[in-house]
Amino acid sequence: MIDSSWLTEFPDMSRRELLAIRQSLDSAYRTFSRDYGESIENFFDPLLYFLVWFENLLIETPWWLVLAAIVGLVYAATRSWKLCSGVLAAFLAIGYFGMWEDTMRTLSIITVCTILSICIGIPIGILMARSDRAKSIITPMLDIMQTMPAFVYLIPVVMLLGIGRIPGVIAVVIYAIPPVIRLTNLGIRLVNQETLEAATAYGATPTQRLFGVQIPLAMPTIMAGINQTIMMALAMVVVASMIGVKGLGQPVLKSITNQYFTLGLLNGLAIVALAIIFDRVSQSYAKRAQKHLEGTENG
Amino acid sequence: MYKKSIIASLMALAATSSFAATSCGKVEIADMNWNSASLMANIDKFILTNGYGCDAELIPGDTMPTSTSMAEKGQPDIAPELWTNAVEALINRGVEDGTLSVAGKSLSDGGEEGFWVPKYMVDENPELATISGIKKYAKDFPSSEDPSVSAFYGCPAGWACQITGGNLFKAMNLEEAGFELIDPGSSAGLSGSLSRAYEREESWFGYYWAPTAILGKYDMVKVDFESGVDAEHYKGCISEESCMDPQVTMFPPSPVYTVTTANFKKSNPEAYQYTTQRSLTNDQMNMLLAWMEDNQADGQYAAENFMFTYPEIWSKWVNKDVKAKIDNALDSL
Amino acid sequence: MDNTRETLIEIEGLYQIFGPDAKNVLPKVKAGASKEEILAETGHTIGLQDINLSVKRGEIFVIMGLSGSGKSTLIRHFNRLIDPTAGKIKVEGDDIMELPVKELTTFRRHKMAMVFQHFGLMPHRCVLDNVGYGLLIKGEKRAEWKPKAVNWLETVGLGGYEDQYPSQLSGGQQQRVGLARALCTDAEILLMDEAFSALDPLIRSEMQEQLIDLQENLQKTIIFITHDLDEALRLGDRIAVLKDGKLVQVGTPVDIVLKPEDDYVRAFAKDVNRARALTVQTIMTADTSKLEGISAKDVRDIFPADRGHAFVFNNNAYQGVLTKQQLDDMQDDDLLEKVLIKVPTVRRTNLLQDVIPLSLNTRFDLPVVNKQGELKGRVEASKLADVLSP
Repeated sequence: MIDSSWLTEFPDMSRRELLAIRQSLDSAYRTFSRDYGESIENFFDPLLYFLVWFENLLIETPWWLVLAAIVGLVYAATRSWKLCSGVLAAFLAIGYFGMWEDTMRTLSIITVCTILSICIGIPIGILMARSDRAKSIITPMLDIMQTMPAFVYLIPVVMLLGIGRIPGVIAVVIYAIPPVIRLTNLGIRLVNQETLEAATAYGATPTQRLFGVQIPLAMPTIMAGINQTIMMALAMVVVASMIGVKGLGQPVLKSITNQYFTLGLLNGLAIVALAIIFDRVSQSYAKRAQKHLEGTENG
Repeated sequence: MYKKSIIASLMALAATSSFAATSCGKVEIADMNWNSASLMANIDKFILTNGYGCDAELIPGDTMPTSTSMAEKGQPDIAPELWTNAVEALINRGVEDGTLSVAGKSLSDGGEEGFWVPKYMVDENPELATISGIKKYAKDFPSSEDPSVSAFYGCPAGWACQITGGNLFKAMNLEEAGFELIDPGSSAGLSGSLSRAYEREESWFGYYWAPTAILGKYDMVKVDFESGVDAEHYKGCISEESCMDPQVTMFPPSPVYTVTTANFKKSNPEAYQYTTQRSLTNDQMNMLLAWMEDNQADGQYAAENFMFTYPEIWSKWVNKDVKAKIDNALDSL
Repeated sequence: MDNTRETLIEIEGLYQIFGPDAKNVLPKVKAGASKEEILAETGHTIGLQDINLSVKRGEIFVIMGLSGSGKSTLIRHFNRLIDPTAGKIKVEGDDIMELPVKELTTFRRHKMAMVFQHFGLMPHRCVLDNVGYGLLIKGEKRAEWKPKAVNWLETVGLGGYEDQYPSQLSGGQQQRVGLARALCTDAEILLMDEAFSALDPLIRSEMQEQLIDLQENLQKTIIFITHDLDEALRLGDRIAVLKDGKLVQVGTPVDIVLKPEDDYVRAFAKDVNRARALTVQTIMTADTSKLEGISAKDVRDIFPADRGHAFVFNNNAYQGVLTKQQLDDMQDDDLLEKVLIKVPTVRRTNLLQDVIPLSLNTRFDLPVVNKQGELKGRVEASKLADVLSP
């Protein structure tokens, strides 16, 4: 019986062995979190201060001032009055339905996550574009980051850093950073070979090539990556609220568990509104910044 | 050797399927996403499958959606561990309408809720065992995000305890004492924050409930509200979102029932009989949960272990015939 | 071309093998294994094989070959856009293979400029910034190089286009920008990789003419890659023919057309319309001896003894042809202009087809002059006939 059981059942590890592995890994992680949790937390302190400061800034500044600043920024980026009035209407509706504070919180955390993703993602993307070895190591990591269910890494992060904004930011960044990395890599790799050769032939240093040719020419692709990153960050808002990140995610979560349809819909719509605003503004900014690429006479 | 084993397994297969065909039929059991409920659900599955010949199936669930679905759609058939405070009106209406049936207490002591602090803090400062002490030493509980305020970890968004905890937070004037009510977002967030603090011997003050592995594992002290239990007020005001003038009261034990659909009761009287009997004390449950946590067991593994290890408990829930069938199944496991 | 010019670039024993383990495959290639054998045995591709050539200062050196011959690979070795598997690349006697990165950058900035087949312009920079790119990356201030860039832009005929972006220009205009960019660096050596191949035939010949005109003044050393023999013959002082990564023949345009060294070159040369492909340059006799004077006595003593006729100039301006017979018949004070025969002049860049009717109309040699009217040589009818009859 025993010696042939592998035919009908997968010859898996005995429960005892598996248990030993699981227990020892878990307790190792617990020890690690006990020993290093504090210093890791301290490492993130500046980010936390900035997050808290930025959120308070958005919430405590009078709403009309914040609104004016947002519309001003949108206009500066897009030069489109149509878009500005759309943004204004969306935010007025959000405020009118009593979601102003939560929206500001979400806006703050998304902004910070986006900035972080860009600051970390673009250099990694550049590294990937320059070295095939780096690419072969980073690509599977990005695959993991995008497909691993968030809670699998959320709970260890909570053990390490507690609940609140920092683990939230980490979760969002892990989920949202892959597009900007992938598309930075792609954009740089797609830069016209001859243009790059021209720069080299005229004696450009690697740095001059990078900042003078590769990044500017990869910009449309990188912008597409940033756009996707923002969208994915917004999609993570609800998941992040499950580890205590304040904002539009919490009412959504509350309405899911309590079946408050209207509450859920309103807050969901506010998230959608933010997403559309971010999307349109970043796209139209990208288009405006790349105007020279469109041939106007002969193409 | 091969042949024998294959024939044996085929026979076993035929045996189980013929069981299923004879009596109970398809039974859906709600598998809630916390350990004690999941354990209960798996115990039910094992006993109903092997003892009553049901084709039992676990359906993921949660208090609110599951009870709504049971009342409205008659699905799933059994909620093995339902904290009815959260859904009292719904259950009452279901029972009145004849769609639901409260079979019995799944936790005989009822659930225990409260605000807790780690024991090592109380050892250092005994005053922290009472709410007045907590308020006096609010500064000992700094929030990790903003040390100028004190942290009170509330109940995850959407749970009934969010309302009761929130009302008690108001009633005890914790905000004036410098506390901020932090929404942990999920039970994982709440337990994560507790175990993080406990592992590092940091301060923690918040809502938690028993029986849970966390309270089995970590030595926590339930804070005395110095008010006693005012069940009337608790039920009439504290558990209502619209409570205008909340007063301090300890949490009354939370009734935890096994609820089934009326349909199940009607079509499977024998199996229903079992659900009325199946009940554990908090001590038993805490012990089981601690075992689960230590062994990283899932509900199924823990249920099997329970069936093996504690026949003296479960044999009281079933008659002799059924016990024999279950013993049989355990032997072939 | 005259042989007095000094050698500027020398390439010795250059090999380029593509593949992961090129260094170890090299000995096999050197031992004479064929391209196919190497590919089958090692999976490596031979790009260039035993290239030896020297380029002289001030000449246009054309490397000609069909696609896949390795010509674009070869030109990328001159400024080390590609590093060879083996070999030396000497510029003014120094092996640039031995330059460390920093000096290589300096070398590229000062010694060589390059023009690309598809222009290689920076689409995100305006035309002016493209022209000044070579100076910009040297760290020169925009204000300093701007006048120079504007000047070169005017020279190539694109004055007023400074603020346009490359995508707003036609292909020919873009390549003029590419040319202006190369010239703006003042580099002595110009690498041109199929610079005119992507252009329409009409624009192409316009650009060729412009290059020849510019070269007359600039006297740069130009390495020009092309797959078009007509273009090679028109531009090249010397032409190297490349086939399958090997040099087949190096020689003057006339050598290539008239004395092909193997069947490959012969097949090429056969189809050439020589009258249209060859210029006066290729057949002219470089002989600047001329008669300067107004009357017979001024020139009687300097008339070349071995010639039946000579070209007469006055104040550096061409006047006409004087025969020995005429001179002998004249009195000392007789004015030359009365007897001079008006034979038209030609330019070095004129195609033979334009020169043929002129030559048929006279029994004398045709004088070759430059833009300023100075005598550079003569075209003899017999040589013209030699070249044109296969």
